[in-house]
Amino acid sequence: MQNLFNELTALKITGNVSDNCESKTVLEINRQALALRRANPQLRQQKIALPYDNIINFVTELVAFDGWCSAIYLCPPLVKIPENVLLWSKNDQIGADYCEETTGSFSYALTQTSWYLATSGTTGEPKWCEHSFASLSVGIKQSDKLQKLCWGLLYQPFRFAGLQVVLQALLSGAELIDASKGEPRAKLNILQGKSVSAISATPSLWRQLLMTKQLGSLTLKNLTLGGEIVDQVLLDNLKKLFPQAKLRHIYASTEAGLGFVVSDGQAGFPRKWLEQSTHLPVKLKVADNKHLLIKPRHGNAQTMLQIADGQGFIDTFDEVQVTDERVFFLGRATGVINVGGNKVYPEKVEQVLLQCPFIGQAKVYAKKSALMGELVVADVTVIEDANHYSVKQELLKICKTQLLRFEIPTKISIVDNIICEPTGKVNRKLQHG
Amino acid sequence: MQQVAELNDCQLIEPIEADTLLLECGLDSLSYAMLVAQLEEDLGFDPFTDLVIDTYPSSFAEFLAIYQLCADKQ
Repeated sequence: MQNLFNELTALKITGNVSDNCESKTVLEINRQALALRRANPQLRQQKIALPYDNIINFVTELVAFDGWCSAIYLCPPLVKIPENVLLWSKNDQIGADYCEETTGSFSYALTQTSWYLATSGTTGEPKWCEHSFASLSVGIKQSDKLQKLCWGLLYQPFRFAGLQVVLQALLSGAELIDASKGEPRAKLNILQGKSVSAISATPSLWRQLLMTKQLGSLTLKNLTLGGEIVDQVLLDNLKKLFPQAKLRHIYASTEAGLGFVVSDGQAGFPRKWLEQSTHLPVKLKVADNKHLLIKPRHGNAQTMLQIADGQGFIDTFDEVQVTDERVFFLGRATGVINVGGNKVYPEKVEQVLLQCPFIGQAKVYAKKSALMGELVVADVTVIEDANHYSVKQELLKICKTQLLRFEIPTKISIVDNIICEPTGKVNRKLQHG
Repeated sequence: MQQVAELNDCQLIEPIEADTLLLECGLDSLSYAMLVAQLEEDLGFDPFTDLVIDTYPSSFAEFLAIYQLCADKQ
């Protein structure tokens, strides 16, 4: 059965996993993972939630529990986990010591493990998307060149994009350096110190790294962009700085997994892929409403079966524009706002704004930003006689206590009315003024 | 900048000179995006959208120069 531990054990060359303080070889991690299984027989066939601590522990736990537990939930901070799932804590383990090297024979039957990744939902409750090791590693490539890379991890590793970087580095035998915390300059300091040669980041983060003027000090051979719409100016800037490097942008989602990789240096993807996609992990189709539909070739996860149509195509709710040669992404049809790779559901922000007693209606929508892709802005109507300045202060206070920073509207406009659709829903496409 | 800093609970450094690096002024990347949005409200243009920027500004002087260039073209 394919699982992370067996795949890593079969590799001829393996790398190291490091953060700013510590470094461990994958061989050491494998040994610790085996010890962890041995110390925790009670977790076999159980569903467990893994809170994120640091990259070395995270990878060790993934290696240990894939094939050991029936399900692993990769938890962002403060996430609510389903009721029948055990929350993993290193203090709970029984039996052998976590770090003790395993000796002697240790036979056991492995199981098929479901991997669950959290994506934020419209109400603020997380939505758990089911994957498997096989479906998550479908896009992983191995070669001598890839084995020599040193990956800088800039995404959070418990998110889909971050996990892809982790798996790519581990399974190709490359080095992995965690630089996912801190502001761009702090990240860059870590990357510079460790001679990183491959980075995957959102377009917003690439822009910020360019703004430091230090990005050129790295010797990058492999640049990957994902999580947001990629524009041509950014691709050209990166190509100019690293003319010899491989520059790719990836289309993927937490729900459906890897879609496809574009490596011709152009924004969007070739139109011919709508007809010829045998080389891609997905089939592609554009619906009459201009939504991109994808049909993954791998993955039978329950989550996907629930959202696929009769032919197995999933509506990505990404709106596209089809030209003679190219298909370009326009934005999310659902109104979901993408702030530097972070999803913001307008409904959630509107519900928070409406808690203010002076507010009649609220409409939250995206404003284009060259730096962050999109920003959150809001229109509100207020009850008569309300002092506009006080209302804005009150709204800000409520938002700061209940929303994440990137969810707080960067601008709140007080308007006379908010246009609704015939269904009574707020029309987010018609913007005031 | 002060207004955006307060909104984001950030502390601006003093003094901000022409060669002060933007990412060392005390504002983070989201705050800069907010500053650009706020300046668009006040000035009526966003140079990062209106111009094809071939290099991203690094220092405070470069940031101002991009706005000056865009204002001259208006």
